[in-house]
Amino acid sequence: MKVLVAGKGGVGKTTVSGTLARALARAGHSVTALDCDANPMLGISLGMGPERTDALVAVRQALEARDAEHEPTIEGFVDRFGADAPDGVRLVVASRIDQFDPGCT
Amino acid sequence: MKPLRIAVAGKGGAGKSLISGTMARLLARHDRQVLALDSDLQPGLALSLGAAVPAEPPLLAAAEKDEDGRWRLRKGIGPVRAVQRYTTAAPDGVRLLQAGKTTDEGLAPLMGAIHAFYKVIHRLDEAGSLRDWTILGDLPAGPRQVAFDWAPYAEHFLLVVEPTWPSMLTARRVMRIVRIREEVTVSAVLNKATSEADVDRVRAFGFEPLAVVPADDAVRDAERRGVALLDHAPGSPAVAAIARLVTALERR
Repeated sequence: MKVLVAGKGGVGKTTVSGTLARALARAGHSVTALDCDANPMLGISLGMGPERTDALVAVRQALEARDAEHEPTIEGFVDRFGADAPDGVRLVVASRIDQFDPGCT
Repeated sequence: MKPLRIAVAGKGGAGKSLISGTMARLLARHDRQVLALDSDLQPGLALSLGAAVPAEPPLLAAAEKDEDGRWRLRKGIGPVRAVQRYTTAAPDGVRLLQAGKTTDEGLAPLMGAIHAFYKVIHRLDEAGSLRDWTILGDLPAGPRQVAFDWAPYAEHFLLVVEPTWPSMLTARRVMRIVRIREEVTVSAVLNKATSEADVDRVRAFGFEPLAVVPADDAVRDAERRGVALLDHAPGSPAVAAIARLVTALERR
């Protein structure tokens, strides 16, 4: 199944997502958790700890830094850019903003 | 009286709009002419100000497309006229300029207003008649708009921080982006504090809060009713703390 979680800031999207991902993993599903927030925090609610979450490099940044080639397959993508979270969940951070980029709307 | 130029940023749900809206009205009560800027496409600032949300963003009328299909401000519309014509009135004499709110049809109906908003805020410094205005911008959650230069008017960034890891990490990410602009200063306000340990927590993380806003049931009540905190509970501890924050910012 593919589930998308959305809502206003602070309602608990990330907490619900992280807990849901682990609950599904414990129920026997193979789970990929995708953090699409420009301010990614899903690692914390998955239980990876704040500092490790903050240190995760997003796929886009890795590609921009040219230390990675574009990955042709989804499986390879998750494998190369994912991080291991508890209960066997694989976390992939899509994009993170940490630079000033004037002039771009 | 020196005008203030402040942008408020932080994690979703930290209380940016609540603090911005309450601050804007308190600043106006200090005899300042206040322009409140709302670039969040989700509702928030109008509620905390106690202002009406127009069905359609007034700024739509300020935008047109050029021959190449790119949005621009209509001829004759500059920052002064935009503030005169396309702001809405909020209590205490605050003027509110909004980029617009997401509709059932998504962002498409708003694109003109969003572009007009971005262009107007980039030209505010051209307007001599706005020189004495205090400008207070409420940014949407996270670092995106800070990174994409949605607060060019800001001389000071106020980071709203809850005593939680996600909130503190977000504030740190935003601060790193803000710091690239050398002329800008940054401070933090702790919101939803329940104990002295919460204050210690953000201090240990590296933020010395300019003010501490306590967790306050009056805030929850006001937001459940959809009314401004300042009208619902003017004597509440949260309002008193935001008043202290305003004083601290004015003294800086």
